[in-house]
Amino acid sequence: MSNVIEARGLTKRYGRYTAVDNIDLEVPAGRIVGLIGPNGAGKTSALKAILGLTSFDGHLNVLGKDPSRDRASLMEEVCFIADVAVLPRWARVWQLIEFTEKVHPHFSREKCVRYLSTTKVTLDHKVKQLSKGMVAQLHLAIVMAIDVKLLVLDEPTLGLDILYRKQFYTNLLNDYFDEHRSILITTHQVEEVEHILSDLIFIKEGKIALDCTMEDVQERYVELMVAPERAEAARALNPLFERVLFGRHIFLYQNGNREQLKEFGELHTPNVADLFVATMSGGES
Amino acid sequence: MNRLKALMMREYWENKGAFRTTPLVIGGIYVTVFLMGIITFGYFDNEFHTLKEAIQYLAANTDPGHRAMAVEMGLMFNSFLFTLVLAFVVFFYLLGSLYDDRKDRSILWWKSLPASDTLTLASKLLSAMFVVPLLFFVVYVATMLVVNLIGAIVVLALGQNPWTLFLGLANPLKPLGLLLASYLAMAIWALPLYGWLMFVSAVSPRIPLLFALVPPAVFAVLQIWIDFLRTFTLKTNLGGLIWNWFANSPLIISGGEHNNSIGAALGVPITDDFDHAVTIGNMLDRLFSKDMLMGLVVAAVFLAAALWLRHRASDS
Repeated sequence: MSNVIEARGLTKRYGRYTAVDNIDLEVPAGRIVGLIGPNGAGKTSALKAILGLTSFDGHLNVLGKDPSRDRASLMEEVCFIADVAVLPRWARVWQLIEFTEKVHPHFSREKCVRYLSTTKVTLDHKVKQLSKGMVAQLHLAIVMAIDVKLLVLDEPTLGLDILYRKQFYTNLLNDYFDEHRSILITTHQVEEVEHILSDLIFIKEGKIALDCTMEDVQERYVELMVAPERAEAARALNPLFERVLFGRHIFLYQNGNREQLKEFGELHTPNVADLFVATMSGGES
Repeated sequence: MNRLKALMMREYWENKGAFRTTPLVIGGIYVTVFLMGIITFGYFDNEFHTLKEAIQYLAANTDPGHRAMAVEMGLMFNSFLFTLVLAFVVFFYLLGSLYDDRKDRSILWWKSLPASDTLTLASKLLSAMFVVPLLFFVVYVATMLVVNLIGAIVVLALGQNPWTLFLGLANPLKPLGLLLASYLAMAIWALPLYGWLMFVSAVSPRIPLLFALVPPAVFAVLQIWIDFLRTFTLKTNLGGLIWNWFANSPLIISGGEHNNSIGAALGVPITDDFDHAVTIGNMLDRLFSKDMLMGLVVAAVFLAAALWLRHRASDS
């Protein structure tokens, strides 16, 4: 499968501050990639470059196009939800649908109306009359009715309650995603996306701290829970990260010898959130 | 083409209040004031000359040629309020055109759709140049229709023939056509201003009105001051340039000098030798002048800058 996004030496500077620092990135088709990093790590800057919303240095190719020059034609194949609640507040739902239909060659009005019929949003609503969760539903309904190769989501569920958040990702997986499409999600709410991701990219201070598939994560990383009296010995085996929970020590190992580690206590597959914390707090370097 | 149409439709939807409701309200005010005038006139019927007598007097003692001219002039003069408000609407529309969606961040939505920045800019400029003036013009014509219809009914009710009194005398197409032509000519004449407003709209971090007015004002004042110190004369400066631009504009409300009397006839063509009279000839004269050419260059620079800024703009 060819790559949907290819970045080489992608760099974004704001004056003297470097938000994205010379990163290489590849997103293959048919994957759901999570781009995860703390606030200010450069996620949004990287996404803006990919979407042609900002200038950048380095080489960037999205679906064979240069986003900084070709945004309009790129947007026929790429869709994005940048943050919640960016739909124009003055617009009525039917106006947004009509506009999108006229402007976008791959938009299906029927699909959009069908998705909306499962929500409380009506065609005559003004966006400003809708709750934040309903705006997110509306935005997703429009975007899911557009047949594109790449969907980019930047903190799409920020500020929504848990019901809407779950629903959002369920709809995305069940009704939208297939092997011809790729989805790139940025978020710092790691827990809620970890079950749907196929690939994981951690970004830290403008650089890529981790780039692997979810299968790799399971193979590469292991978590060991040990009683305090054996902690010293476990610590000698070069863990990536250590934390204490209910008096038990939890160590995270990269490429650890599972046979050897089993001697000390229980082994688990670490969840993405723990891996994230370990990576961000110094970890590898 | 379809995309441009959709983008212009979107401008109309967003600005329905300014584009459609505003002229309707002015039209409503016109009709109301007209009705109030008739009622007031009728209310004092017992004490003064009656409305009936006045109309009889007009029908008997005035020259149909003069009445025709009065009707024609009226059809142009009455547009004054419409034109004034139209200018304000276009001004503030352009000032917000590339600013509002940056402020409320909906630019992230608009930019997620495959409509180019050039087309977006074009849709806004074309709306300001043609859509808004045309809407105001249509409502104005409708208002004049209603007012004349009411007038005709009143005249008829008072026993006179409205057709010979005023309706059938003048050719309304001439003044209305001239008004429409002046709106279209103004759309081109005003391009440097429109370019400036769109540029300011694209560049302002906040309060575009301030950025639109303060820099040229400061510049003009400094220029006048420095000029004055240096040469003790006041010949060319930005302020004078802007005044000349306005005085020469093909607008029916615009004034100008004629035999040293400023504002003569407010641009209405009483005589064709009046330099500022709004006639088709004078309009074409303006639009094919060296001044206009320079204005177009200025407009192109501002619009190119606005486009460049729009291309790079997102929500921050």
